[in-house]
Amino acid sequence: MLRYDSTSSSAGSSSGSLSSSSSSSKPPQQDIDGLLAGAGYKVRSSELRQVAQRLERLETAMGNSPADFSQLASDAILYNPSDLACWVDSLLTEFAEPPPTCSSDFIVDPVNNQTVVNSAWTTAEPHTPQVHQNITYDEQQSLDNQLTVVTAMEEDSGIRLVHMLMTCAECVQSGDLSLATSLIGDMQGLLTHVNTVCGIGKVAGHFIDALSRRIFQGMGGGSVNGGSAFENEILHHHFYEACPYLKFAHFTANQAILEAFDGHDCVHVVDFNLMHGLQWPALIQALALRPGGPPLLRLTGIGPPSPDGRDSLREIGLRLAELARSVNVRFAFRGVAASRLEDVKPWMLQVNPKEAVAVNSIMQLHRLLGSEQTRNSPIDTVLSWIRGLNPKIMTVVEQEANHNQPGFLDRFTEALYYYSTMFDSLEACRVQPEKALAEIYIQREIGNVVSCEGSARVERHEPLAKWRRRLSGAGFRALHLGSNAFKQASMLLTLFSAEGYSVEENEGCLSLGWHSRPLIAASAWQAVPAWDNHMSSS
Amino acid sequence: MARRNEVKLNECKMAVSLSTWVLISNFKLAYNLLRRPDGTFNRHLAEFLDRKVPANANPVDGVFSFDVLIDRGTSLLSRIYRPATAEEPQPNIAELEKPVTAEVVPVIIFFHGGSFAHSSANSATYDTLCRRLVSLCKAVVVSVNYRRAPENRYPCAYDDGWTALKWVNSRPWLQSQKDSKVHIYLAGDSSGGNIAHHVALRAIESGIDVLGNILLNPMFGGQERTESEKRLDGKYCVTLRDRDWYWRAYLPEGEDRDHPACNPFGPNGRSLEGIKFPKSLVVVAGLDLIQDWQLAYVEGLKKAGQEVKLLYMEQATIGFFLLPNSNHFHTVTDEITKFVSSDCIKTIGERIMQCIGALLCVDYVCLFKCFLG
Repeated sequence: MLRYDSTSSSAGSSSGSLSSSSSSSKPPQQDIDGLLAGAGYKVRSSELRQVAQRLERLETAMGNSPADFSQLASDAILYNPSDLACWVDSLLTEFAEPPPTCSSDFIVDPVNNQTVVNSAWTTAEPHTPQVHQNITYDEQQSLDNQLTVVTAMEEDSGIRLVHMLMTCAECVQSGDLSLATSLIGDMQGLLTHVNTVCGIGKVAGHFIDALSRRIFQGMGGGSVNGGSAFENEILHHHFYEACPYLKFAHFTANQAILEAFDGHDCVHVVDFNLMHGLQWPALIQALALRPGGPPLLRLTGIGPPSPDGRDSLREIGLRLAELARSVNVRFAFRGVAASRLEDVKPWMLQVNPKEAVAVNSIMQLHRLLGSEQTRNSPIDTVLSWIRGLNPKIMTVVEQEANHNQPGFLDRFTEALYYYSTMFDSLEACRVQPEKALAEIYIQREIGNVVSCEGSARVERHEPLAKWRRRLSGAGFRALHLGSNAFKQASMLLTLFSAEGYSVEENEGCLSLGWHSRPLIAASAWQAVPAWDNHMSSS
Repeated sequence: MARRNEVKLNECKMAVSLSTWVLISNFKLAYNLLRRPDGTFNRHLAEFLDRKVPANANPVDGVFSFDVLIDRGTSLLSRIYRPATAEEPQPNIAELEKPVTAEVVPVIIFFHGGSFAHSSANSATYDTLCRRLVSLCKAVVVSVNYRRAPENRYPCAYDDGWTALKWVNSRPWLQSQKDSKVHIYLAGDSSGGNIAHHVALRAIESGIDVLGNILLNPMFGGQERTESEKRLDGKYCVTLRDRDWYWRAYLPEGEDRDHPACNPFGPNGRSLEGIKFPKSLVVVAGLDLIQDWQLAYVEGLKKAGQEVKLLYMEQATIGFFLLPNSNHFHTVTDEITKFVSSDCIKTIGERIMQCIGALLCVDYVCLFKCFLG
């Protein structure tokens, strides 16, 4: 993974005619000051002097009225600090505004010319420092001591296992199946000397299984991601409970959707994977509380068809409707049953031209990526009709991993690293059976990445940098997630989870990681108006 | 009032290049947003604003990095930076902790700056700096993500530094081939420099050998207001008020700036006479308002008979080493390289060249290259 995404969403696209930027007249990337880039800032050399002047003005303004400045610090919503010019501008604009007197104040985001309301329910909390209080510190301590003792003893075996896994994967890639098979045997033997309850032993076991399946059963691997829709939903729910990744996804997406829906009376959310609808009660409640009253909310939930005559989509819809009724939000639900996302056609969603639409995709878009980059691959088709809906916002959350590389060994290596980190984070979960079932959920993903190919391999995760390029190329531009979303995500973590998780901001997108390795990334997008394309493609 | 501000801003601007000015001004402004008058810190906003980069096991300009959890109890992470070798240009994930192969490999334990409250090991500026150190010194760099104030006061940062030192010292894969020992240097800027000093102190009692300390604009202070503090207050992006704030945030509540953490050679300080303290390279910027304390530190080491080299960069402001666009930067990097490599001569050829170089007062590396043709 590159350190710096040199083709960010705001600059040229990789695939031809569509303009990707919000202002199509931006000069090429070469103009970025290389020295400041090393510090994580994107400033064009030609703008350096201007930025310096604005910094000066800000400094003077700050010197003149320090009280207003600290007010700004606690109330302002800031966006994309990497774009220094815009950041300084937004601070200057803030400063020039009179201090907020009522809850419906406006902050203009100069990047997108978008007005964002400083909503009442996101205002500052008491100024308590973030103290890491380990209430169950003693328990944690003794368990950790056990863990460290275990890992010290098995360090050598652990390292040997990793070496053997890599060698085995290499054999699989080169077709040396006999050596691969004997390695499987050796590794299974080694597993008996290693603690498989936690640490490397646990994750290694899953990878050995997946490799084994690939070698012995071929790559249809139907049984891996098989499991009924019902089973998948249960596992998904426990994964939701056991660790913060899905909560972060829902929380962040809801925040962005809420802001995008501001000022609209008819809103329509299209959820690409309804599951148990866990994301929506929070949004319904937030809409109920918004100043000026809730809009009419329509929710279209997409999900797999249920066997044996049940209509699980409708059941979830009914429950959500009940909740909405209890908080006086006018609500309508529609279920769209489809085995695959690419089978959904836009007319099925019955979008009304007058409503504000939000398209919500939590870990679904990657399933549309095929192994071949054909012209009308499912991802292109789907992105195209999403664009046709002209949604107010499209929220995209994806695994922050490169699991769609063509080379098997590369994919395997990346997956080993990624899922080790994820399993490690799961160690912090103390509730059962959530933890055990969450592990099975992850195990199935591993199985799909490692032992499946072709259309059976649906877990085709790609990193944010690639999604940026892809979405920009498909005619979308990024809507930046701001400091308020960041703050709430951080607070969510302290409430629900163990230490070790961290939220990071990356050019308007947020990611959640474990021990500084980002594992899941959230971003928000909007379709670039059609007339922009005509301007730039000439 | 406006005129006085103008004068201050102009002075700072003239002392540094435009990029440097933009960078440190931006930091200054951002930091002002984060410090609250009541002594609390807006940690969420700080983390939002801090530009971070992930570790990268793929070599970039010959350096790759990976993160290691050193202590689970305190979630103490460190980022390890290693040079990619000619034989192994693309390390794979199982090889990240492969033993170092050279005769002597310096291992620099680096503590980032931020006045004890800001920044992280994965901050972009420090990631870039550590990568430079690897290339310059052919070293392995271990950047410690120590706990920060005000949530974690003294002695947390020192404890974390000490944990990292013990961890580094006990890694078999970091031992130099020559003597199967880990060749350790401690380095840091601003608060990191302060931490390096105090970790070195702890090392003495324990018997872990630290070969040298590199202190870049180290953060020291005291109750007294010194001449440089009065003269330079607010002139080059740093104010006495913010310095006081950070000490109040780090030191135990109720303690003043003559606490030995802040003022190691002050009234509550400890004599280092007769103690085998590592040799030190101390870099002081002539436009840094706390220089009197840094110079006093150097004096304190000298008086105790310790080996110390002072690099006084008259025209430099704080943060000058963050961007490689000044003479100061290059002078300092050259000195650091010499400081670290003087213990690490790799080949007989280079040893000979160094002797010749010393005799002829020439740069022996240039000579060596000429010799090779």
